[in-house]
Amino acid sequence: MELTSGARVAVIGGGPAGSLSAYFLLDLARQTGLTFQVDLFEPRDFNQTGPPGCNMCGGVISESLMQKMAAEGISLPKELLLDAIDSYVLHTDSGAAAIRPLQEEMRIASIFRGAGPQGAESQSPLPWSSFDQHLMQLAQGLGARHVPRRVRQLVRDAEGRLEVHLQPARGESDEPEEPYGVYDFLIGCVGLNGAGVRLFEELDFGYQPPKTDRAWVAEFYMGAEEVHRRLGHAMHIFLLDIPGMKFAALTPKGHYATFIILGDDVNEELARQVCLSPHVRELFPEGWETPVRPCRCQPRINIGPPVHPFGDRVVLVGDCASSRLYKDGIGAAYRMAKVCALTAVTRGIAAEDFRQGYWPACQEMDRDNRLGHMLFSMDGLMRHLSFFRWAMVTVIREEQSRTDDPRRLSSAMWDTFTGSASYRHIFRRAFHPLVLWRLCVAMLRSLLPAGRGR
Amino acid sequence: MLFDSEKPSLGREFADGEVILREGDVGDCLYVILEGQAEVVVDDGGEEPLRLAVLEKDGFFGEMSLFSDYPRVATVRALGPVRVMTVDKRGLLRWLGDDPTLSLRILLKMVERIRLLVAEVIRLRKALRERGDV
Repeated sequence: MELTSGARVAVIGGGPAGSLSAYFLLDLARQTGLTFQVDLFEPRDFNQTGPPGCNMCGGVISESLMQKMAAEGISLPKELLLDAIDSYVLHTDSGAAAIRPLQEEMRIASIFRGAGPQGAESQSPLPWSSFDQHLMQLAQGLGARHVPRRVRQLVRDAEGRLEVHLQPARGESDEPEEPYGVYDFLIGCVGLNGAGVRLFEELDFGYQPPKTDRAWVAEFYMGAEEVHRRLGHAMHIFLLDIPGMKFAALTPKGHYATFIILGDDVNEELARQVCLSPHVRELFPEGWETPVRPCRCQPRINIGPPVHPFGDRVVLVGDCASSRLYKDGIGAAYRMAKVCALTAVTRGIAAEDFRQGYWPACQEMDRDNRLGHMLFSMDGLMRHLSFFRWAMVTVIREEQSRTDDPRRLSSAMWDTFTGSASYRHIFRRAFHPLVLWRLCVAMLRSLLPAGRGR
Repeated sequence: MLFDSEKPSLGREFADGEVILREGDVGDCLYVILEGQAEVVVDDGGEEPLRLAVLEKDGFFGEMSLFSDYPRVATVRALGPVRVMTVDKRGLLRWLGDDPTLSLRILLKMVERIRLLVAEVIRLRKALRERGDV
């Protein structure tokens, strides 16, 4: 079961996983002398502000993804860039520490997935543009056709190909009986926050979506000057002893600051507690109050592996399949879209082809995520021990003050929050004997009288 | 600042004429041009270094000494203000192992450079033959 010239491909969902799957598939087809007709189904208009154009994400492009894209020749236009991140500041109940990379170079970008938060339209014309729209345009540049409609149903026909049925268009009352198209290959990039997952659960290949949790994301308007004055070009990470919270991050984005809280099904009450924490409030202007209804959402995020995300002529990519735990979702979509395209073009589109070519990459990511779960569980146990947090901040400060230091703990923390390395690499550095020794020494110092004062 | 200072920018900025990498240095990264131009030059003992190529946006350089133990074979300097992003050797080698299409893309770029070099050698040989030096 191979993709031959003239094959029709449907990509359901036009977020990064969908647009990149279409892009890589068409790029590989070009390199191998094949031609495919690729239809990209995405009903949202990414040029709209607020929820209609948003893909519910923190909107940070990791260092490793930025480097991969640069090497690949995929450049990021300046109008997409809201801020370039040069450092991370770790805030704990026992103090704060800044983590800077050794190289003097900006490699992390903050972007808006859609056209920006609700209310931003008042700043028209908008000084920025949508990241998701840009990726879709890249795919369109290679020949993908955007179908701005919502998919109602997927049906396998007698020959095993897949029919795509659409929801009625605006103004139409009846559901169209005829399929919009019959496709040789279907790529599902439906995320976890819409009804798209159900379309694939109802197909015949035994797909079950990954386990999810709820995050909390809000965009706060502060004005560009205040954002720069308060946050600089740093991403601020909060590791606080608040039950239910794993970590929170405040990211500068031009006139806005994006606040993300990750934890066990984060709700409004937990978000309120975190926003009221003095460590968070000190980064906001004096007297500033959290807006009653900021542009906010509680997206579902992937925290576990999917079951059977592929079948004959069909595969799922992105958040609805395998992604990276708590970080670099766009980078994970990039990698898996590429593996999916490579498998389809070089091996074939039968379930067995995906089992051999695509599934090992999913399993590798899922294995790495298990290590990530372990790291966050250990952090959860340690968060109540203020002397541990104090020791961690102390060791990072010591590492950052020396240029000849290998900065193992700093780089492990940097990679944890930037998404630049796998949890396996982070684990290796964080548990290096020298790091453990330094942490032990710092913990002992903290227990001595006046130890923490030094 | 050389570019628009109001806008955030990625990578690292070099002023006109500033050396980005120097002939003879040990290479530990690949460079990608995000904005502007850079020129590749070698010191041939003349008054001015000899220009070998001008590289544009999205072009990359520094890959030769990543894949071999040889030091940098030429100097690359900014031609007007230029912004570049580096790609670390270790990360790149790991990604090349994971991602054959990235290897293919770099290979294609290197093949294109070899093709241009062959065309240049042919042009020079012809010129020498016309002068009667060959």
